[in-house]
Amino acid sequence: MRSPRPSLFPLWPALGSLLLLTGCGGGGFAGDSQARQDENGQVTVRMLVNISPNLTQAYWDGLVKPFEQANPGIDVKIEAPTGKGVADTLPQQLAAGNAPDVVETLMADETLAKQMLDLTDQPWAKDTPLAEQAKLGGRIYTVGVGVQAQSLVFYNKTAFDKAGIELPPTTFDEFDAAMGKLRTAGYLPLQTGGDFLTGLQLLQLTNPSRAQTHPTWQQDVKAGTIKAGESMLPHLERYRTWIDKGYVDKNALGMKYADAETAFLSGKSGMYVMGSWFTATEAKADKDFEVGVFPAPVDEGQQHPGPQGATLAAPYMILKSTPNKDAALKLVQWLVTDPAAVKSQLAQDGNFRTGVERDFTPLEKEVQAILDAAPAGVPQGEGYGDASLPKGFNSAWNTEVQGLYVGKSPKDVAEGVDRWLAGRS
Amino acid sequence: MRKTFLWLSAVFMLVPLYVLTVNAFKGQQEILADPFGLAGLTLEPLARALTNPQFNVVKGYAITLLFVVAVNVLSVVLAAPAAYVIARSPKRRFRVLMLFFLAGTFIPGQVLVIPVVYVLKTLGLMGTIRGFVLFETTLTLPFSIFLYAGYIATIPAVLDQAAAVDGAGRLRTFWQIVFPLMRPAVATMVILNTFSVWNDFVNPQIILGPGSGLYTVTTGVYAAVSQYATDYTVVFPTLLLAIAPLLVFFVFMQRHIISGLTAGATKG
Amino acid sequence: MTLTREAPVVAAPPAARTRPRRDGLANALMVAPATVLYTVMLIVPVGLAFYLSLTDWDGFSANPAFVGAGNYADLLDDPELRRAAAVTLLIAAAGTAGLNLLGLGFALLVNGASRANTFFRIVLFYPHVLSALVVGFLWSAILGTSGAVNNLVTSWGGEVLPFLSDPEWATVTMIAVLVWAGFGVNVVLYLAGLQAVPHSLIEAARIDGATRWQVFRNVTLPALGPSVTVNIVLSLVTLLKTYDLVVSLTAGGPAGQTQTVAYLILWNSFHDARLGFGSAQSVILMLVTAALAFVVTRLRRRGELAVHQ
Repeated sequence: MRSPRPSLFPLWPALGSLLLLTGCGGGGFAGDSQARQDENGQVTVRMLVNISPNLTQAYWDGLVKPFEQANPGIDVKIEAPTGKGVADTLPQQLAAGNAPDVVETLMADETLAKQMLDLTDQPWAKDTPLAEQAKLGGRIYTVGVGVQAQSLVFYNKTAFDKAGIELPPTTFDEFDAAMGKLRTAGYLPLQTGGDFLTGLQLLQLTNPSRAQTHPTWQQDVKAGTIKAGESMLPHLERYRTWIDKGYVDKNALGMKYADAETAFLSGKSGMYVMGSWFTATEAKADKDFEVGVFPAPVDEGQQHPGPQGATLAAPYMILKSTPNKDAALKLVQWLVTDPAAVKSQLAQDGNFRTGVERDFTPLEKEVQAILDAAPAGVPQGEGYGDASLPKGFNSAWNTEVQGLYVGKSPKDVAEGVDRWLAGRS
Repeated sequence: MRKTFLWLSAVFMLVPLYVLTVNAFKGQQEILADPFGLAGLTLEPLARALTNPQFNVVKGYAITLLFVVAVNVLSVVLAAPAAYVIARSPKRRFRVLMLFFLAGTFIPGQVLVIPVVYVLKTLGLMGTIRGFVLFETTLTLPFSIFLYAGYIATIPAVLDQAAAVDGAGRLRTFWQIVFPLMRPAVATMVILNTFSVWNDFVNPQIILGPGSGLYTVTTGVYAAVSQYATDYTVVFPTLLLAIAPLLVFFVFMQRHIISGLTAGATKG
Repeated sequence: MTLTREAPVVAAPPAARTRPRRDGLANALMVAPATVLYTVMLIVPVGLAFYLSLTDWDGFSANPAFVGAGNYADLLDDPELRRAAAVTLLIAAAGTAGLNLLGLGFALLVNGASRANTFFRIVLFYPHVLSALVVGFLWSAILGTSGAVNNLVTSWGGEVLPFLSDPEWATVTMIAVLVWAGFGVNVVLYLAGLQAVPHSLIEAARIDGATRWQVFRNVTLPALGPSVTVNIVLSLVTLLKTYDLVVSLTAGGPAGQTQTVAYLILWNSFHDARLGFGSAQSVILMLVTAALAFVVTRLRRRGELAVHQ
């Protein structure tokens, strides 16, 4: 290699050509560091949102239209996740240095909070739903539109009649008995599914009971005083007996979330555990039976109804890095306080907020009554605010719970959950 | 025997395409009741898929096509001359360079996409067409150079020497004399690269992201379909729209595509 | 040929003395752009992946901490990764076998020019034109618990077939779909290889009374040696990075049993915001892929030499 010639690979012409290729024009995310403003002083606020069968892109575009009209200087750009969901896409965008200004659907945990704007001093923030519970280290980062009731069991009234079930079950023993009757009557007693549904439903169903045995479950798990999997073992064991008795479909893992919904609404199954947003789907569905709802059962001797699993509906956060802080703040304040915007969001995704009256379907009225009767609201699974478990807990839980369907013992599942947590602390 | 077996296989290969096509024209009830039947055909689901605000098929095609053309042109312009030097020069440093490129053929693109995010970010190219094209081009380089170098080795060197005698410089010799003879190998690479760029999912998903407003056919399909996995009146028409033009193109061009694939591959 | 050898003897033109230097510059100009781009976009990222794998970075915070080999130690007793590695290797091994057996088998069946053969080649190849993502969505609509096939089966009074809901079934389904979608490419590559088999040899063997199988075993297959190597290496390298199909066909389920390493890398890096950990997995996947490709090439070369002796 001791060649007399200059160098092995003269880089200058090459660098030159590369620069030529890449140099012209600005970056793709126009003006990351300064406010995105064109000559007319127009500001663009980018908002990453959750897209679901209820919340379509068209819905979001329509939702913010009145805001844009009232604020001619602000243009709101709705961004749909490109990953599996917002939880996947936001970290990608943060990594890419291309974070949006506002993000919907996620709640602050210790990792995310560092990236988010502190909203504690905003006078309107403390009056938003669950603001107190969602605080992290005493600060507000997330503000929401309403409350989602999580621990609801929807049921097919025709199926209950045919099976001879007169009163909705209040304890798990009654729940088991009801499932037995439904099975005898020819129904699939409990509609479950694959996807993220398996773990979610078990969390939803067990919130009221778990909240009474372990009132501060997330904090205790975090502090290491109890083990998450171990404390849920009785519930896992019960779930396992449902699989063995055919109370749930043993092939449920081959159904996606929307599959399960469709199956329940087609009248094949007796009960379906789901959050209050299901009422919005139910309202739109064609079906030949009536749907009722009751709060999730509890163990023998516990108070019924128990504390209701409660999560923030449409939670918003503003990214600290936003170059358009004022516009973003204005938008978020409008989204969570403007009566019309709030009502629209509540109705679109079947959520509730104390003091907000809207046209309820009969089923929504029942859900509102359940919410009113619940003694308290409890965070679910991964939780929020100070009561939050490491990022990804819900998916890890879901994967493990699905193990029940594929031959894992409840004990193995519980240990799997605890092993996952041990690896993250 | 052979014929029967082949026909049976052909049916097996085509059934999914049949299911896709037929059900793109049916309502949810008809699909669920009889996924293979032809009852109750309607154009309505297809029309709805065409006007889906989340996935504008035409835009997706335009962007993907732009990527395909840009990557192919850039790949040929960069890889062919490099391969020429590597194939023609007896110097050791170029053999080392060949190995350096060859190592890249074993690196899975998916593995690279995470660190590439930071490289592109540093260069200010994240979420841009240019950044995406440059990265996709890079992924094509190792195999292209490998194939081209092998192909050039089969072209008699006397041709270049004759040109050199006539006073042509190295660059001109390559582009005017050698490059035109490389057509089969270039055709093969263009076909391979077209498929890989067209069908790529993870790279556009992460490099373009939601902020750029750019989507390819694959990322668009993902956005349009994944949340509605069982609304079959969304799934089937969207998938059909995503593949139909490409399939038609393939069927008309199959002779060139398949023979192009073989021509370069045998010599290289 | 003779011309080639004589060429250097031709008297050098007067300009020749400056030629080497000019050629050197031209050479540099011709390799530099590709080399620079390749270095910036491929070699640097590989180095970066290795560096990140030694940190506990979440992907966006300001100061990642250096954890040395910590991530690699965690990898060793990560049950998710162990499962994903086993699944990935199974997919790679079974998939490579399927792709190549079907590829070679069908190549022999559709070899030769006829309209029917052209049709069959198109039909065998077309799934490759669809992206893996579309293929996955399509097959999940056909094979899911409430998909087309199960609808048919249950309407005939049968039991639901757990194509995607049972871990073993789902793994087999995934491999089958990968093979379905990919073996057309192998058919084309093997067809190319078959053109290179000397026809005279086959005829000579036939005349000597060899059976079809003997001809295949002793003449065709050895002549196909290089094609086989290329096909196996290509299949392996492609299958080891299976990702798109996991996303669209099974989403990693049931119970995470069909998550591949590539799927886990992206999941860990972004969804769980453990980019350092994901990078460590990337590094391992890279090393394993390179090692496997190298070993296969080596073994095959030895095999080819043995055949030729």
